[in-house]
Amino acid sequence: MQTYEDSEPIVRIRDYKQDRVNFMLENVDLAFANSFRRVVQADIPTIAVDMVEVEANTTVLPDEFIAHRIGMVPLVSTNCDEGMRYTRDCICLSGCRYCSIELRLDVSCNDNRTMEVTSNHLEVIPPFSSDEGSPGDELTKRGDDFGQPVGKNKADVPPVLICKIRKGQELKLRCVAKKGIAKEHAKWSPCSAVAFEYDPYNKLRHTTYWHEADPRTEWPIGENAKEEEAPRDDEVFDFNAKPRKFYFEVETDGSLGPQEVIMKGLAELQTKLANLILGLKSETDMPPTGGDTGLAGVNGHVPTAWVPPSSSGTWGQNAASGAGYASPAGGGGWSSGGGGSGGWSTSPAQNTGGSTSAWTTSPTQNSGGASGAWGTSPAQTWGGSSSPNAGSGSGWGTSAQQGWGSPTQQASGWNL
Amino acid sequence: MNAPNRFELFVLEDTEKHVEVTEDTKIPNAATFKILKQDHTLGNMIRAQVLAMPQVLFAGYKVPHPLHPYFLLKIQTDGTMTPQAVLEQACTKLIATISSLEAKFKREFSFKMTEGTVPEDPYGTTGAGAQGWGTGKDYLDF
Repeated sequence: MQTYEDSEPIVRIRDYKQDRVNFMLENVDLAFANSFRRVVQADIPTIAVDMVEVEANTTVLPDEFIAHRIGMVPLVSTNCDEGMRYTRDCICLSGCRYCSIELRLDVSCNDNRTMEVTSNHLEVIPPFSSDEGSPGDELTKRGDDFGQPVGKNKADVPPVLICKIRKGQELKLRCVAKKGIAKEHAKWSPCSAVAFEYDPYNKLRHTTYWHEADPRTEWPIGENAKEEEAPRDDEVFDFNAKPRKFYFEVETDGSLGPQEVIMKGLAELQTKLANLILGLKSETDMPPTGGDTGLAGVNGHVPTAWVPPSSSGTWGQNAASGAGYASPAGGGGWSSGGGGSGGWSTSPAQNTGGSTSAWTTSPTQNSGGASGAWGTSPAQTWGGSSSPNAGSGSGWGTSAQQGWGSPTQQASGWNL
Repeated sequence: MNAPNRFELFVLEDTEKHVEVTEDTKIPNAATFKILKQDHTLGNMIRAQVLAMPQVLFAGYKVPHPLHPYFLLKIQTDGTMTPQAVLEQACTKLIATISSLEAKFKREFSFKMTEGTVPEDPYGTTGAGAQGWGTGKDYLDF
């Protein structure tokens, strides 16, 4: 019935610019394509100003108005998976150099003209060293302009206007930028817009066009219609047809590049699914003792629990023995047999603090390994990192250790 | 003041599990999965994948309330597989699909890089767009 089941998904990038990518996705489900769109919009971490302390504001705009505007300013967040922690996961009291970035704005107008306060006036305060927060290598994973407003002091990028001030007015404030995802607040979304279209001729009749006399003369045919065959006049409606081709245009606000957005979106989807599988495993494969053994045994249980059933034939052989999802160095833990698309190797580099997080890092692709499997594609470092951490990290990860401990209902009573 | 943290909508509490399975007592070979801190992104994708399996008689998901960050997934099978196994297989298949997509994206992006289609000037498009903005003709003020 589902013929696409056997066929591989197809991707074709039609246009790739600094801040946007336009591509076609074929041979996937509508639900899958939509999930991809949702994850790209709402689940990728970036950095944005989350707290503003106003020291002086004699402008015409109230404090909260300005604070809101500053929160919306996109900040360069390349590789913030590794370059920054969530404040909720950090042990510091209210923010440290590992989980927050401080920016300051100090502007006053002294001449007789209207002056524009823009995102170019936001200055990143270099992190001072203190012993607050548990030490980590986050700072080394950051690029030079990490946390800077996007396009700062670039002539061809117009800055974001925050306020206009006249002579004698002043704006002085301190901002703290934090990592977050757009599910919490849309300012953390790396995308300014994601266009998503399928079936440009409306052959499937998923929509109805309002019209005076004839919708075909009154509605223009979109660009994407060039990719598909126009319906013939004598064509009967195929009520079994399913959308197969999806047209995306992912436009970023500059905080992350389009490639990083796409790759992290896919990785985030995998993390979600993998966590679900892990949850199912822990539900059914609990040791009979249950109860208290849980936390201590996290790392011990994972590998055995995680090996997927060979009947599904998807994972080839799982060579990982020690580290659960993250295979030992060298990757090659999993080869995805489904599709012969070559292996994707997981790198254990991210498995920091194994005891706290069996899962922190989920599928982490080592771009070197993956490209090796592929041969044709030169290893790419997107976002300046060689191994983007696919897992959104500790958010989901740390919680994976829960659920091992408590006794659960065994699968039973199935009438097979 | 007493507002819950916003991240509670997508971060599991220490006491919570990713998934809770309730076997249906009145329908044979059926189970309801309560998947915590997830939404339509995961629910709809899994539902579609589960429905594509021939062993499945019924699959559906719902988010009972938009303010409650979980969804329920109900699966009934024909008895050759348990709903748990079905769900797991569906997830495994989806991960395989995604990883193959990932490799394809990587290749496509590397092709585009070598072709040099990315313009040298950063945000050239936004710069051009901004020039169009002060003209006052972008929208008509009636």
